[in-house]
Amino acid sequence: MKYTFALIFGLLLLVQFAVAEGEIKLDVKEKILSNGMTILVIENDIAPVFSTYIRFKVGSADEHLGITGVSHLLEHLLFKGTKRIGTTNFEAEKPLMAKIDSLAAVMREEKTKLQNYRKGGSEDKVLALREEIAEVQAEQAQYIIKDELWETYLKNGGSGLNASTGNDGTQYYVSLPANRLELWAFMESDRIGNLQLREFYSERDVVREERRLRTETQARGRMYEALNAAAHWGSPYQWGVIGWGTDIDNMSRIDVEDYFKTYYHPGNTIACVVGDVKAEEVFSICEKYFGKIPAGPTPPPVYTFDEPQTGERRVDVEFDANPVGIAGWHMPQVTHPDVAALDVMSDILNRGRTSRLYKNITEKKFGRASAYISFSRYPDLFTCSVTPMGDYTVKDVFEAVYVEIDKLKEAPVEQWEIDKVRNQADADFVRSLASNGGMAYRIGNMTAMVGDWHYLIDYRNELKAVTPEDIMRVAKQYFTKSNRTVVTVVKKKKAEPSDNSNGPNL
Amino acid sequence: MKKLIFAILLLALVCTSVSTFAQQSEGSKIISEFKYKDIKWSVPQVGKEVKREVLDNGIILYMMEDHSLPLLSMSAKIRCGEAYESTEMMAVPDFTGSIMRSGGTTNVTADSLNAILELVGGSVETWIGSENGGARLSVLTKDTELGVRLMADVLRNPAFPEDKIDLMKSQYKNRIKRRNDRPASILSREFYHVIYGDHPDGRILEWAYIKDISRDDLVAYHEKYFAPNNLMIGITGDFKPKEIKKLLNQYFGDWKQKGITFPKIQKVKNEPKPGVYQLQKDINQANIRFGHLGITRDNPDRFAISIMNYILGGGSFTSRMTTKVRSDEGLAYSVRSSFNTGSRDLGTFNASTQTKSSTAYKALRLMMDEVERIRKAPVEDEELDGAKDSYINRYVFGFTSAGQIVGRLMGLEFNDRPRDLLQKYLDNIHAVTKEDVLRVAKKYLTPENLTIMVVGNADNFDKPFDEFGAITHIEITDPVLE
Repeated sequence: MKYTFALIFGLLLLVQFAVAEGEIKLDVKEKILSNGMTILVIENDIAPVFSTYIRFKVGSADEHLGITGVSHLLEHLLFKGTKRIGTTNFEAEKPLMAKIDSLAAVMREEKTKLQNYRKGGSEDKVLALREEIAEVQAEQAQYIIKDELWETYLKNGGSGLNASTGNDGTQYYVSLPANRLELWAFMESDRIGNLQLREFYSERDVVREERRLRTETQARGRMYEALNAAAHWGSPYQWGVIGWGTDIDNMSRIDVEDYFKTYYHPGNTIACVVGDVKAEEVFSICEKYFGKIPAGPTPPPVYTFDEPQTGERRVDVEFDANPVGIAGWHMPQVTHPDVAALDVMSDILNRGRTSRLYKNITEKKFGRASAYISFSRYPDLFTCSVTPMGDYTVKDVFEAVYVEIDKLKEAPVEQWEIDKVRNQADADFVRSLASNGGMAYRIGNMTAMVGDWHYLIDYRNELKAVTPEDIMRVAKQYFTKSNRTVVTVVKKKKAEPSDNSNGPNL
Repeated sequence: MKKLIFAILLLALVCTSVSTFAQQSEGSKIISEFKYKDIKWSVPQVGKEVKREVLDNGIILYMMEDHSLPLLSMSAKIRCGEAYESTEMMAVPDFTGSIMRSGGTTNVTADSLNAILELVGGSVETWIGSENGGARLSVLTKDTELGVRLMADVLRNPAFPEDKIDLMKSQYKNRIKRRNDRPASILSREFYHVIYGDHPDGRILEWAYIKDISRDDLVAYHEKYFAPNNLMIGITGDFKPKEIKKLLNQYFGDWKQKGITFPKIQKVKNEPKPGVYQLQKDINQANIRFGHLGITRDNPDRFAISIMNYILGGGSFTSRMTTKVRSDEGLAYSVRSSFNTGSRDLGTFNASTQTKSSTAYKALRLMMDEVERIRKAPVEDEELDGAKDSYINRYVFGFTSAGQIVGRLMGLEFNDRPRDLLQKYLDNIHAVTKEDVLRVAKKYLTPENLTIMVVGNADNFDKPFDEFGAITHIEITDPVLE
């Protein structure tokens, strides 16, 4: 972290940076509100619109068993309104929600008993409770204005309205016509300052369906889930952002509310506005709306990391799909000095038609192989996924990938490969400036991950300083057999009995 | 940065609706007090913001300068595509469109072309789709001449080497082999096949149409369609028109025109295929889609239809289907309907969702009820206003970059659409009334014609689907790869 919010508490920090890049400037204007919230602005009046990106420094890595998936579920609930948006009478809703919460608590207890054959839980009781909850929900419904927040944005020309959750962050974005700045600040500040977690239980079911859609009915979804679970012994990256199915089924509204209170503070928040706006105006509107939100305590740190891996791990996932595979090697967090070399290595392996995997795996018709570096808050995985072609197996393609990685250990890469990556880094940077939404994401994400958006520039310089020797070193250090986990999707025979997870959803 | 769009007309982006909810939220009262400054903006036009010129050999140019970044882009459009070809030849356009770039040219080998472009952080890509072919160049300004030269070479002199043809065949074979791996791709393929039959919009690509493709096919295809009189190029970014035209003349100027006879595109047979089509797959979620043929892009009712569909299921969380199935009942993550209003021939209306097997019937029932409801009674004022406001206020997002603007204006000429279409769009949306919405719902949504398809484990559905129509079982079979 570049700034310690405690130190500058009460201080209005207003800094203007202009990083020269030949003629191209990355001109980010920055202000930290008195409650610790960071505001970043880039002025770009090329079209009468602006894009926003609000980043909360919380993601699935901040979760623990029992509430896995809570970051993402909470992201959904932030669209359900506030004490002032989405309701005609918040006071009347309160006791009803409390009633639902207590019924849900009894239901969860009963369901837990049902898991243990000797404790005598009752399915009938669960169903009765479910009906009782539905009755109270129906009573609450008379006060609810459905999806008012979303609808208000759309009516006002909101474009690209959405949100997403990752291991390391949760983000909310929308682009609006240039005259809608105050509307944005009002709505976003209200959902941090006055959030109301209404319609919780139906949204929990929605997320459960999202899990079926993306993970349970997709071979690749199951494959990624298996990789993280097998590779991470300790680190909260072991579960996916969507969370475990049974956690989603059983999480309570109170669990989510506690989580919200712990992480959704101004000091844990970065708001970026890029487009046809004036920075001074953005700052004063943000001060007016976000500035009122009280500062909160620093969220708890994450300190559970992986045990060192001491041997290759292999997992099979049976699925009604053709074979694919993924391998992961432990690699360090985004701020680590080796990341730039690993990044260049992944480009040389993976990017474009001159890349080594394309030349030696795709063009030789083994199949397809792609390599991905992770840029994560905590140590994570460098992954390589493969899709075999023709008569080749997943194992064959992995063998071909390992040959390519071994070449990187044994001989320095060629100078033109390095030059290519350097030039592409510069060209990418120029292209990235053309997109309001893209820039808002980049400065916000970098500030969240590293503490300072300037790292966008510094990192590019680090990338351009990587030498062939650096690549040999990181290839040798990280890409060992004992440091890797390999997951293979194996085609399931059709006759096997069906998945029984379709029973009554208790 | 310099302003890209000049203020010519004053277009006030305003909210037409004052919320008429019987009971308002406190937030909406606060929001209604906000004052929005007018935004000076107008739809860009050819002859004003965008220049149109024709080179001596017939290449049509659309140009829009934007000197804010040192980048140059060119986007070419060529009339050709899969829709013009017979089923047996359906893969030839895609092979041609891909390999003209991936295979290099008679002047530059594939490896050299790849290396040059990647070394300067630039790209040239080509493709051929259903009804058009395209090429795109993106380079830093300093590499403008290199880029134009390579793009011209790729378009004019592709080498089509055998090894790249073999590679693409293997890749296609693998793709066909894997086409039943994802429920969504099974559903999409089979659904359009039932609706369109063997028409290009519905036919299914098989290995049999690929295995015998030869280099001669690609050479002949390229020879037939690629000519300066069949080419439009949009140029955007950091360039001077005079200089870029000089370069284009230098690298495209000696390309001779040729006569092209376009095959007639098969007409869509307007025959409904009502009923339930069930595909058994052992998964815990039912993938459901239903729909029928819709309208062409010339239909004067298309604006009212868009608004109607937005209210029905197109407007994400503000739509009726999403409110019912997702928000109220928690039955699905994704619930949506779409009514294609941009298709040359008949497009489709279709709606889809995915829900656990034990609520498949319930979710479908709720969606069908919404189709019935919007056909029976007028929509609410606030629904209509909300939909129109959304279309009007976000219209500007279709014109936020020079590339987008040139692409849309060039598209009008390419598709032979009225040139004032984009100017009149907002007036057309403004004009839609509640009566229009009801009328088009009755006329263009026809429940008796619906093709209903589901991929999933029907044994676990809450109720059989025969209530919605006679059930046809379609077996998910392994593709023939011999």
